[in-house]
Amino acid sequence: MYGGGFIDEKTRKEAELMQDDPIELAKFEARIAAGEKIEPNDWMPKAYRSQLIRMIEQHAHSEIIGALPEGTWITRAPGFKRKMALMAKVQDEIGHAQLLYSAAETLGKSREDMLNDLMTGKSKYSNVFNYPAETWADVTVIGFLIDAAAIVNQVLNSKGSYGPYCRALERICYEEAFHLKQGHDAFVALATGSTMQRQMAQDALIRWWEPIMHFFGPSDKMSVHGERLMRWKVKMASNDDMRQQFLNTYVPKIWELGLTLPDPNLKRNESTKLWEFTEPNWDTFFKVINGDGPCNKERLAVRKWAETQGAWVRKALFNPKDSYVTPFA
Amino acid sequence: MVINNKEALVDLLLKIADDEFIIGHRISEWIGIGPTLEEDITFGSIAQDKVGHSQNMYELVAELTNTSPDTLAFKRPSSEFKSCELVVLPNAGYDKALVRHFLFDHAEFIRFELLMNSSYEKLSHLAKKFRSEIKYHIYHGNTWMKQLSSANEESKGKIQTQINELYPLTLGIFEKTPLESEIISSGYFAGEDELKSRYFAHVNELLTSYGLTYPSIDTNMEVNAGRNGIISAHLTPLISEMREVFDLESGVDW
Amino acid sequence: MKIESLDPRIQRLGLTESEPDAVVLTQEDNFITYEVFHQKKKGSQHIHVGIVHAPNDEMAMLAAKETFGRRGATTSLWIVKSANVVATAAEDEDIFESTPDKLHREAGIYKTREKIEAYQKNNPA
Repeated sequence: MYGGGFIDEKTRKEAELMQDDPIELAKFEARIAAGEKIEPNDWMPKAYRSQLIRMIEQHAHSEIIGALPEGTWITRAPGFKRKMALMAKVQDEIGHAQLLYSAAETLGKSREDMLNDLMTGKSKYSNVFNYPAETWADVTVIGFLIDAAAIVNQVLNSKGSYGPYCRALERICYEEAFHLKQGHDAFVALATGSTMQRQMAQDALIRWWEPIMHFFGPSDKMSVHGERLMRWKVKMASNDDMRQQFLNTYVPKIWELGLTLPDPNLKRNESTKLWEFTEPNWDTFFKVINGDGPCNKERLAVRKWAETQGAWVRKALFNPKDSYVTPFA
Repeated sequence: MVINNKEALVDLLLKIADDEFIIGHRISEWIGIGPTLEEDITFGSIAQDKVGHSQNMYELVAELTNTSPDTLAFKRPSSEFKSCELVVLPNAGYDKALVRHFLFDHAEFIRFELLMNSSYEKLSHLAKKFRSEIKYHIYHGNTWMKQLSSANEESKGKIQTQINELYPLTLGIFEKTPLESEIISSGYFAGEDELKSRYFAHVNELLTSYGLTYPSIDTNMEVNAGRNGIISAHLTPLISEMREVFDLESGVDW
Repeated sequence: MKIESLDPRIQRLGLTESEPDAVVLTQEDNFITYEVFHQKKKGSQHIHVGIVHAPNDEMAMLAAKETFGRRGATTSLWIVKSANVVATAAEDEDIFESTPDKLHREAGIYKTREKIEAYQKNNPA
């Protein structure tokens, strides 16, 4: 799962200042316009490389951290069907992290450097995972709606220009289909179940709606920067377009169950065909993504614990005679 | 098919199912927090295989006793579980996880090898199916044990410490229930003694080949540690945690 | 500062807050990579599916099975150390540019039917 593509201002400014050979740049942009893919050894603009590393890396971090909210309920999943599905799903998050760190590595940043940046807070991950999964219903909301949002993002990005990222995303999109299906199924089981179950689903929905509305990030007015990322097929759609796509597909699926969302202004404008909604609080978004959310400390503490307790294992097996080479696909 | 001794068969199936279910649950606690991404994924698959095996075994019991796997796994009180002590020990470090997995899975592999000859066809059929999956689990356990015990002083020391602690608990895998002789005479299973002797012959040789020692224990000692009503202190907290959502309301679908 | 978690397995770990750089990974925490090739069924090609990080061949094969073979059909896996793969150099990719133009190797350039029709037109039966 993933969402956001949050690029901090410093990275954005650095990227804008990077200069490239204008002839190579023109050739590169012609290739992209012709629908060609870029592979690791191809010439690429410096900003293309740096932006992609940051984007793919943060996507990978979102997966490895994304395993933790639903992991909260792994030992308590009710019944075999849900237990097996949740184990497989959370395993997939780690699998996706593996695929994405591998894709980012092709651009020259090592896995250990990426994990260090995650643990220090320098690199971000999708904000939505800084919230707690308070009940079993939260697991179903995450599996249904957050995976749905991630799929919108991932399907679009899988048509992007960078070969290794596209290939990783194709595999991920295939597995996400299972995630969405099992999430929706588990959510519907609650929504169509007993009074208690339905209430649990309704409460979870209300609790998660703001993080879900934050998922695609603030509205992005088309800056020169954004326009360039679109031209390079690094960014495949605006945050607004992705949010619209998500609302259009999934709000009806919530309403068809007779559940309510905590936004009285949420509705589809039948003449513009666009969804209208109360603008979410972006101050909250920035506060949380910069470290001050309910679970930020816990998420990183867990990651640090995993790395620490596995250190003796890695050190024991490490072979100093083997030298690492950057993978090229 | 005529079942000679339903009670004996259920007794056998339940203890196997309970072991698989509990160890699968313990292994699943590592999903998302393993020592490397690749090993996290791998151990996660082993957890799913174990829980999946238990579900298949519970299905056999459910057919015979007119109930369901969910009821058997999620509604029985912990006092009715027949799992051994080894599988229910709480997780600590990855050394404990690996050594427990190594020690238990070898018993499971041999058990299912013997069960391929079970007179109960559905069981022999399952045993054949599981064997290929457990083969991979064995390969995983052996590889980790071999490599860590020869890597450096620290890793060897950790593995040896866990062997010293957990090896004696393997006796609990072979704890007999009162219906043991009927299980054997009905042809359902060759028996715990047969399993035990093959197990120690094989595992002792492997451990020695890895440069590890094992505690000297009296393998003829009968233990009472899980299969006959004296349950582990760790089992009740595990079961009540596992049932936390399931128990919120009865008679509902999740 | 103790960390309280809603996840019982995390709560059991007894985590506390720590400095951002409390854990620093080095190259020794990261294994080399192996390329993985996957065969879906007998008769099919082995297809490159990605990489695994592993310290040696045995560990790489263990990892490859679940990283790339936990769904669908698999009949065979190959692993090769990334360092052992010899690839076309980026600057030599131009040697392939004109190959699609080498039509003398293609069936499509032959216009035999046209010759036959022209003959038949000039030599009605």
